[in-house]
Amino acid sequence: MSFLTPLYLIGALGLAIPIVLHLLHDRPKNKQAFGSLMFLDKTKPPVDRKRRPTHLLLLLLRCLALLLLVFVFARPFVTVDDPAAAGKRDRQWLTVLLDQSASMQRGDLWIQAKGKVLTALEKLEPDDHFTLYAFDNKSDLLLDVVSWQGSVSEGEVTRLLERLDKPSFGGSNLGQALVFAGEAIQEYETKPDEQPLVKRDILVISDLQKGSRLGDVQGYEWPTGIKVSLDQIGEDDQGNCGIEQVAARTLWAATESVPSFRVSNSSNASTDEFEFVAQSSTDADSLSQKVHVPPGRSRVIELPAEWLGQSINQLSVRGDVANFDNTFYFAQEKQQSVRIVYIGEDSPDDAEGSLFYLRSAFQKTSALNFDVQFISGQSTIPLPKADLYVVGDVVNGKLSTSLNKAVRAGGTALVIVHSGKQTGNMQQWLEAPNLGIDDIKSKDYGLLQSLNLDHPILSVFRDSRYSDFTNLHFWNYRELQNLPDAGVQILAEFDTGPAAWLLGSRGKGRFIVMTSGWKPSDSQLALSTKFIPLLYSVLQPVLESKTQSRQFFVGDQIKLSKFNNGNVAGSVSIIPPGNNDVASIKSGDVFLPDKPGLYTVKGSDWSEIFAVNIIPSESRTEPIPMDQFQRLGLPMNDLEITPELLASDAAEKTEAHRHEYWQWALATMLLFVIIETVLAAKGSRSVEPITGS
Amino acid sequence: MEIKSLSLRARAVVEGFMSGLHRSPRTGFSTEFTEYRQYSQGDDVRFLDWKVMARTDREFIKKFEDETNLRCTFMVDFSKSMEFGGDDSDVKKSDYGRTLAASLAWFLLQQRDAVGLATFDHDVREFIPPRYRQDQLKTILGRLETQPAGQVTDLCQALNKLASLVGKRGMIVLVSDFLTPIADLERSLNLFSAAGHDVRVVQVLHPRELDFDFEDAAIFEDMESGRSLVLDPGLARESYIEKIKAHNAALDGIFSAQGITSFRVNTTEPMELVLLRFLQQQPAKAVVRQRRSTGRTAA
Repeated sequence: MSFLTPLYLIGALGLAIPIVLHLLHDRPKNKQAFGSLMFLDKTKPPVDRKRRPTHLLLLLLRCLALLLLVFVFARPFVTVDDPAAAGKRDRQWLTVLLDQSASMQRGDLWIQAKGKVLTALEKLEPDDHFTLYAFDNKSDLLLDVVSWQGSVSEGEVTRLLERLDKPSFGGSNLGQALVFAGEAIQEYETKPDEQPLVKRDILVISDLQKGSRLGDVQGYEWPTGIKVSLDQIGEDDQGNCGIEQVAARTLWAATESVPSFRVSNSSNASTDEFEFVAQSSTDADSLSQKVHVPPGRSRVIELPAEWLGQSINQLSVRGDVANFDNTFYFAQEKQQSVRIVYIGEDSPDDAEGSLFYLRSAFQKTSALNFDVQFISGQSTIPLPKADLYVVGDVVNGKLSTSLNKAVRAGGTALVIVHSGKQTGNMQQWLEAPNLGIDDIKSKDYGLLQSLNLDHPILSVFRDSRYSDFTNLHFWNYRELQNLPDAGVQILAEFDTGPAAWLLGSRGKGRFIVMTSGWKPSDSQLALSTKFIPLLYSVLQPVLESKTQSRQFFVGDQIKLSKFNNGNVAGSVSIIPPGNNDVASIKSGDVFLPDKPGLYTVKGSDWSEIFAVNIIPSESRTEPIPMDQFQRLGLPMNDLEITPELLASDAAEKTEAHRHEYWQWALATMLLFVIIETVLAAKGSRSVEPITGS
Repeated sequence: MEIKSLSLRARAVVEGFMSGLHRSPRTGFSTEFTEYRQYSQGDDVRFLDWKVMARTDREFIKKFEDETNLRCTFMVDFSKSMEFGGDDSDVKKSDYGRTLAASLAWFLLQQRDAVGLATFDHDVREFIPPRYRQDQLKTILGRLETQPAGQVTDLCQALNKLASLVGKRGMIVLVSDFLTPIADLERSLNLFSAAGHDVRVVQVLHPRELDFDFEDAAIFEDMESGRSLVLDPGLARESYIEKIKAHNAALDGIFSAQGITSFRVNTTEPMELVLLRFLQQQPAKAVVRQRRSTGRTAA
């Protein structure tokens, strides 16, 4: 019999406690103060002979209960020697994780890595289990040999490695690969007919560069008995320099921003002088400037003003040893146009009207070009196409019908109710034949209340810093009578009760109705800080579809629906760099780029360019500190096999038996405790309590 | 009040035990006038009553009553052993002894006698010389009310010291449990007897100290020395009673040899009865000596 946690056996020393207590029990417990002991001689205290046998039984029971408790904590188990298992004891399972990330393109690392795989095979014995994975940002199972066949299997591996002529461009995710391999071993072993192998090793053949992501291992409970060995290649690294674009701008920000790039140099670099080169698609001549980046530092470089005019699509750094990550492909953002149509009688220069403030709110930015048009509500021209319609007055029947159609097809209309004359329009748009509009005649101003800040349109104000609407006064407002229940959502109410802002979802689109506008005669809205966030919030779905980034990394899942303002139908062609292997992909699918470069996505009558780069973490080629693996709780193979490890291995095998043992011990202990309690209670009843004299 | 009707007056007539309630047969210096008598040659002219002489043209000498006072010093044992009181509900020996001393002091002071107090354990703790003052009772009661904080008793050492402190002859009331070795006690008490003091001893004991009436085995702890002894009272009782009886008999022998009046009281006895007993008790021998008048008397 062995114990899983033998240290608990020290607890048996606790047996001394009941013994000492029993011995103490024979001494009288009560004290009696007395004037003087000068006339007293020491006498032998009496022994209660009737109680002594009960005492001994109680002592015995208490000692046994304590011993059993110690036994339970020490978790005894019996290893059953199974002759069938004994034959398989030396079988081992070797899992090789071969790093094929972009950083393995440096020098002859890839050749070295393949050589290491072949070296690892030498340790295998016939009947061993061998698995080979190649990993970058995903793990691919290349080979799984359940029973190693010596040279036959070796030939299979060699042929496989020959086919892998180059590493990929993906970023290395070592953590994911380790978890993947660990889980595969566990899953295989849980199969009922599989006997667990004694030795299970995972061998990582990699440059172990700092950019290898290990996050997946954190918090993952590593299976017992699986050990990890690291075979690092390319230790004498000469450093590396990488380039990446600085965090994405707010694409509809009013301020123009110049694209900027971060050039970072690894801490073990031998050089700090680099050349920053830009190449344009039109001009073969490249622009360049010197950059000084000390080892271990990074530097942000804005594109020089004179370069901005050029259509630059490729930036690179030169001067370091490893070239795999020196080029950054750059797809310049195309300015997207957003068309807004105002239907009303306002003059664009009238500061008392609504249009004046609407035009002021939507200013052109580098990413977005707002085109605010205006037509009269009584106009007979057909309704122009727009991303947002703003209705500020009565609209004639034809235009009203067109607008209704446009909204139902997916458009957005912001309707400001100014007078009862708009009743007809509102009845048609909100499908409410009984709807009426009442002017609220109040001497006092109205305030907003019951704002639905969880709604996407108002969620921008959810933060308590911005949710105070009490400074916003409404001088004139109206009440909509007999609002339909279906598809109408109140976004805000006036303090007197009527709905202030409401949303009517009709077809694919939506009508946003305001019963008081923003012109100064109606309210203070146009002049308040809430106005511009509110209008942008209304436009949010349109802006999101138009301002998608065109920069991706190798391995990213690119949704094609994001291109061409979201108007992607049927299948599109994706032309990778080099114009070969044109892929035809359906609009709903995702595209996984496998190499860096400028890709062209081409629809029936449009085409757009997007850039794919190597993930920046791949440029951090300095080695990972080895203690990091220890900190993550990975059992490294350089650890000696300790009795505890063996015990835990054995414990797993005999888990069912072990459980039975400690459970029985626990049950017996409880039985002893119950008998002891009964005996002790009985004993205390039969003996008169000792009273102070 | 009951105590006023007792026969103390009768008992102490001669030596003025109850000064103020009875006249002294001797005249002397006092504030209280007794009588006139004719001047005869040799009388102190200071005692001539000049006013009478002026009125009657005859010489008269004023005679005054000489007040005799009892000087009583209470010596109360404040040692730890006096704190024994059996159960919590019982009266402690110290409480009993202090109450007894206080009652007597109050009684004597009411009779205009001079009362003093000495407290002791192994040494004299406090000594208030006997006086008759307005606030003497208050002072004595104040001292008696403080809790005894003494440790071991060394009766002989304390008595030796007190013998030097108590000057004029008078009554000494010694209140103690006398649970202490008594080898030198006789010699110490002799100091008082020899000095002409009327020594009266009150030995206060708890009933349990007499009959050792404990039931269960216990750790008996000496209140003075802190020494502890595991005992079965049933086994120890016989020997204890024997020893304490021998101790008390030895004490009685010492007291009678010195002519000392002794009382053995236990804390369950009613206080009034004990006082009555105390006041009724005649001295063991005639040690009450007349105090010589220092006042001049006319012939």
